[in-house]
Amino acid sequence: MTNTWCELQIVCDSVLEETVFWQLDQFGFRGMASEKKGDLRLIRAYLPLQEVQTADLAALQQQLSENAASMGVAAPELHQRSLDEEDWANSWKQYWHPQEIGDRFLINPAWLPTPDTRRLILRLDPGVAFGTGNHQTTQLCLEALEAHINSEAVIADIGCGSGILSIAALLLGASKVYAVDVDPLAVQSTVNNGELNSIKPECLIVEQGSVERLVSLVPAPVDGIVCNILAEVIIKLIPQWNAIAHASTWGILSGILVSQAQAVNETLNQHGWCITSQLQKQDWCCLNIRRA
Amino acid sequence: MAKKVVAVIKLALTAGKANPAPPVGPALGQHGVNIMMFCKEYNARTADQAGTVIPVEISVFEDRSFTFVLKTPPASVLICKAAGIERGSNEPNKKKIGQISRAQLQEIAQTKMPDLNANDIEAAMKIVAGTARNMGVTVVD
Repeated sequence: MTNTWCELQIVCDSVLEETVFWQLDQFGFRGMASEKKGDLRLIRAYLPLQEVQTADLAALQQQLSENAASMGVAAPELHQRSLDEEDWANSWKQYWHPQEIGDRFLINPAWLPTPDTRRLILRLDPGVAFGTGNHQTTQLCLEALEAHINSEAVIADIGCGSGILSIAALLLGASKVYAVDVDPLAVQSTVNNGELNSIKPECLIVEQGSVERLVSLVPAPVDGIVCNILAEVIIKLIPQWNAIAHASTWGILSGILVSQAQAVNETLNQHGWCITSQLQKQDWCCLNIRRA
Repeated sequence: MAKKVVAVIKLALTAGKANPAPPVGPALGQHGVNIMMFCKEYNARTADQAGTVIPVEISVFEDRSFTFVLKTPPASVLICKAAGIERGSNEPNKKKIGQISRAQLQEIAQTKMPDLNANDIEAAMKIVAGTARNMGVTVVD
């Protein structure tokens, strides 16, 4: 028999969040979630339905109203609904499907069987760290990589996230990728996804950090730089790239809104780079660059 | 990478004990977040604090990937600890069950400062004092 839960939803002022959490704990709720809704908070709390007593909820409502009054904010709004138990450990997977990207890639969630295809299969356990293949910027970078990679190329992946671009470069024939990310979760995610794709550890060097880490990591200038972060971050990083580039190093940059491309271009020009082509998907663009 | 955040969710969880049951499942599942991966990461990073409530703030990005940061324990937990009590009062207006000093209040506010919607320590102390009052704990000079 399926268990049913009572989900209590409380919309309150942000200063009341701690008090609401405490009151819900006092009333026996098992676990709370809070989501930012502008200046307000939407707090959800859960209790097995058979343990809920209407009188308790009325008392909770009164208690929270008094708490709000004492802190000089509006009384919270309470709503209640029932929620059938489901297989939460697996139901999130419904959002993930194999995805063809560009001419050569197929991004396959790790739990799905390997499909019969002539495409390069990139297996991912999507989750921690950006780069699942679902975002336009990742897709643009993968398409750009298809055009750039030749065998023996050595690549630097700055802001590697899930490692999707590093792994894609290696699957396309790159000899080595140096990947960095300031987020330790991303570093671990890249390592894990590398293993999932049977990438040799000596071909994928992953470290926590940014360009300054790469400078000490790479024994010689790299052939290509891949950087899918955000325009404002990329603009700050561009001046440091000369330290890891040679005369024919190319770059693939994304995470840039079309409206931000001009600002990135100006910084590139100031530091000896130029744009060779620009790809676009919806509001996002990908810049292919080389030394000027 | 290109991080456009579509949701920020804070969960109050017991260290080392995250599992797909509510609140984790319903709160994260609706965003397509890899729930088992989150539980594994949270439990690994909080294993050394087992038994304590360690809130966590999860940012969900446009491509359904996520990252998270651990937050400071709830103010109520810190207040109980400072006052030497296990629970708050059921009737905070009538029945006071403990007290903390202004110095302790400031210390708690300082700890909670990064997670509170407060511009300065005075505003943070005001929020923590409000929580203490609602628990039946008096702040004394």
